[in-house]
Amino acid sequence: MRSLLEEVGEERVAEEIVSIASEVPDFPVVKVLQQALRISAKMRQEQEEALSQLRQTLSELATPIIRIWTDMLLVAMTGNIDSQRAQDIAERLLNRVSSTRAKVVIVDVTGVPMIDTMVGGFLIEMFNATRLLGAKVILTGIRPEVASTLVKLGVDFQMVSIARDLEDALRQGIAITMEEAQKRRQLALNLAKGGVGEGNEGNAF
Amino acid sequence: MDTDKLETLLGNQAHEFDLAVRITKEEDIAVARQMAKQLAQEMGFSLADTTKIATAVSELARNIYRYAKQGRILLRKKNAGKSEPAIEIIAADRGPGIPDVDLVLTKGYTTYERSLGIGLSGVKRLMDSFAIYSEVGKGTVVVAEKRRRRF
Repeated sequence: MRSLLEEVGEERVAEEIVSIASEVPDFPVVKVLQQALRISAKMRQEQEEALSQLRQTLSELATPIIRIWTDMLLVAMTGNIDSQRAQDIAERLLNRVSSTRAKVVIVDVTGVPMIDTMVGGFLIEMFNATRLLGAKVILTGIRPEVASTLVKLGVDFQMVSIARDLEDALRQGIAITMEEAQKRRQLALNLAKGGVGEGNEGNAF
Repeated sequence: MDTDKLETLLGNQAHEFDLAVRITKEEDIAVARQMAKQLAQEMGFSLADTTKIATAVSELARNIYRYAKQGRILLRKKNAGKSEPAIEIIAADRGPGIPDVDLVLTKGYTTYERSLGIGLSGVKRLMDSFAIYSEVGKGTVVVAEKRRRRF
């Protein structure tokens, strides 16, 4: 019975029951129907379980946050962003920035087909929080059609640097980290030369 | 004043439209957006305008989900005479309604904590025509239209 149902599908089974009942006068329609419904309910439950497992897998495949250079992280966003994913990405990014002490975060949105005010608002929030952790944000991958839509919507990403592509973003990011390293080296040299407080160059302080 | 118009719009039958999507959960927003995108592409809208239409539908569907919990997005092709074809979007819900329509069209105004407050005014700017009918306790209907442009 079970495998029969699985093979023919619910609609065909319903038709079969009707046709058998019309031919056989004392066919136990109610019993068969009950059984059929029970099995189909079980199958539906299994399908729903499979679906929620798939959803789980999908959320685990979430946006990768990759360390691509010294002190530099890349967030490659793809697909539709819903509020759940948005929350997840922001949390993971902020944790990574704080644990790696990254100086620059490149956010690539090439794979995001549409940015509405919800996604835009989420990005702005994430950028501001990242900046509060002491990292600079470089945004890249805004496609032309998305750019014009964002301008019409009035979503403004003025708080971050914009790069035309990943190469440009990487170059900007490296320049920022190099500058930082340079400053630190200068500071160390000054300290070694004259100790703190003498301020022979003064610029590092 | 707008009440009659609102009632007629809320009474719109799904079969009069090319597309009707019921919004009851967050995933429905993505479905509505995707179907709108497909319809716009079929109608020969440019990529930029298709994105604008999909974004507008996304905003309207999200508003329904956020404030009214459920409602409908209706889409219709319009081929009026000699002018270029257009796509009409109707977002209708029997939710709480909006007390001050002009206020919600003000940039930055929102009653939702995690929101930029530019959704509805943004939709107005994305589309060629825009009208909103709302009455407290009855519901809200947004009617917007985008014409196809040939370059």
